Amino acid sequence: MTYRISRRNLVKGAAAAGLAMPFINLRTAAAQDGPITIGIVTPLSGPVQLIGNFVRQGAEIGVAHINANGGINGRQLALEFRDSKANPNDASVAARELIGSGVNLQLGTISSAVALAMGPLLESEGGVVLTSGAGTEKLNHENYNAHVFRVGDSPVSRNAGLVRHIVQSRPEIRKWGGIIPDHEYGRTTWKIFDAAMRKIVPELTGEEAQIADPILVPYGSGDYRNYITQAMRLDVEGIYTSVYGGDAVTLYQQAKPFGLFDKIDVLLDSANEFLVATAMKDQTPAHWSGFHWYYEANKGNPLSDELYAQYVERTGNKYPMGWAAEAHAGIMAYAGAIAKAGSTETGDVIAALKGLEFDSATGKRRIRAEDNQAVKNAELAFIEPSASAPDGFAVTDYVSLDGEKVIEPATPGQPLDTTIL
Amino acid sequence: MVDIGLTVFNGLAWGMATFLVAAGLTLIFGILHILNFAHGGFFMIGAYVAYSVMLAFGGTMPLWLYLVAAIAAGIAVGGMGWGVDKLILRRLRHVEDAYSLIATYALLLVCVGAVQLVWGLNYLSVMPPPALNSVVFLGDMFMPTYTIFIIACGILAFIGLEIFISHTEMGRLIRVVAADPWMAKLLGLNVRRIYLVTVVFSFALAGLAGGLLMANQSLSPELGGIFLLQAFGVVIVGGMGSIRGAFIAAILLGMIESFGTYFVPQYPGIFFLVALAVILLIKPEGIMGKEQTA
Repeated sequence: MTYRISRRNLVKGAAAAGLAMPFINLRTAAAQDGPITIGIVTPLSGPVQLIGNFVRQGAEIGVAHINANGGINGRQLALEFRDSKANPNDASVAARELIGSGVNLQLGTISSAVALAMGPLLESEGGVVLTSGAGTEKLNHENYNAHVFRVGDSPVSRNAGLVRHIVQSRPEIRKWGGIIPDHEYGRTTWKIFDAAMRKIVPELTGEEAQIADPILVPYGSGDYRNYITQAMRLDVEGIYTSVYGGDAVTLYQQAKPFGLFDKIDVLLDSANEFLVATAMKDQTPAHWSGFHWYYEANKGNPLSDELYAQYVERTGNKYPMGWAAEAHAGIMAYAGAIAKAGSTETGDVIAALKGLEFDSATGKRRIRAEDNQAVKNAELAFIEPSASAPDGFAVTDYVSLDGEKVIEPATPGQPLDTTIL
Repeated sequence: MVDIGLTVFNGLAWGMATFLVAAGLTLIFGILHILNFAHGGFFMIGAYVAYSVMLAFGGTMPLWLYLVAAIAAGIAVGGMGWGVDKLILRRLRHVEDAYSLIATYALLLVCVGAVQLVWGLNYLSVMPPPALNSVVFLGDMFMPTYTIFIIACGILAFIGLEIFISHTEMGRLIRVVAADPWMAKLLGLNVRRIYLVTVVFSFALAGLAGGLLMANQSLSPELGGIFLLQAFGVVIVGGMGSIRGAFIAAILLGMIESFGTYFVPQYPGIFFLVALAVILLIKPEGIMGKEQTA
């Protein structure tokens, strides 16, 4: 069968193509000059919506900052939000849908399970994601994927930082116990704490650390009394915990009448920042908490001051959580990488992110090219009840530790080896 | 010996806190044969209402005011039960169970959304009133007074419900309707009204439990789900619809959970689920069985 093209049809086709060309060119030009859209896939509903709200605010404040300063290579930034529900399936659907609509640069992952699911997906779909605080060590070790970057704390720098500071400031405390949530992240934090204590205590004091077996507690329980009773039986001077959020508030609330906090000298909380203190107020037990970002420790840093001021103005909440700073840092990292690459193509941005140094609310951060892990300061603050403070608690001490000194060596593709901490 | 005593004490606390939540759940199932997924949501609203009452009185309250706040929560949630019966449950009485489950689950989501809108997402914490914020020593064994209070509330709730169901006019009518609503209607009983009373009473129990337990754990929109699984377990093991069964099951499961954690601490929180499975394998109809319902 042969097709014949009449002269009339040829002329019609040429005319149509000629009419369409300017629009095709316009559209391409618009895509190159128009806003760069970054997808935020984060929990906007469900049990961890509270954290997703911090991510949203941090990302929006970051974008407003970049746009107010002229954008990136003359282009403005825009955000496109999707609800991950902190669930790998929902997050995968949202990430794939965003990539399908041309949004290949994403951030906002806070859950370890979601972050681990994103690697293979984004690799096959051609996207990249910056996590805003996912805590699993597997991200930059055995599950390393070139398409996933962690611009915030590694669990090692956070927990080893806590240990180093406590051993330096309270060298007399050598008997430790732990109350650990019975899930992967909880066990990881304990593994790091245990290894860091066993290394740092002899290093700084010449004595051995005595560490009891950790007390494992279930996730999402309304009753921790049995575990508190176990903790009361321990012969320890300090307790480390990575129980998080509402579980931590319940645990502390139920432990208080048992006198657990009167029995120990130090309570070391890996990550709750102000979650416990804003709930318990003057009943808050005195404790050290790890922070993604503590604004007082970064006073004078224009990015931190602006983030804090903007956050308080938008929400009325004086105690922003560090998740906001991690999303904010994600925007800063993308801005730096796109400017460096001169492109928003996935491969170019990945290449630019590797080794990137950028400013953030916690100061300079550097993304290691080997394992896509940022090196940033580890921050911690001492929170204690205060009758004179308007909210019933106050931060009476804080430190910001040099990230280079507390992060583990990069070993992408290999499980975390705690003997090299 | 002290350890065993504390393990028993903690098991009782677990059991009675769970029974306080489960009592309304089993009552409504016994009479209306509806498995009310929204029960946890109304328990949560009860806790938040009591919290608001507490804030209205300045934040720290004596024991009598704590009890008033809990009762106010019970009344408020009971009133919501009236609305829920009129709008939803009445329409579910003659449909398949699957529709009831979906409808009450949707209602649970509405409760969570309402709490987020009214009270926000932040975690909240309430400490027990000063009279309950101390410790009682029994030899070397220390027992927080608030935990003793929870155990006492659970036992009193059980006794009160037993008296209500077995020894009052309304209790007898409820039992008649539970046994045979068709015959009760033929005898001239206002079955719809008795259903309404049951729903309101059941919801009020959820609200009261929320108020009494508001100082037991953190308050957040997740609270509705925290006790729901335990309460369902207690209702199922006790024998669906049996208050006496739920009480026994709450103590039994509390002890299994507590001793399990004591002897095998490497597997926290698993013993409740294992016990649930084993008991149902041995006695699928539950401890009190069907013939004993309400």
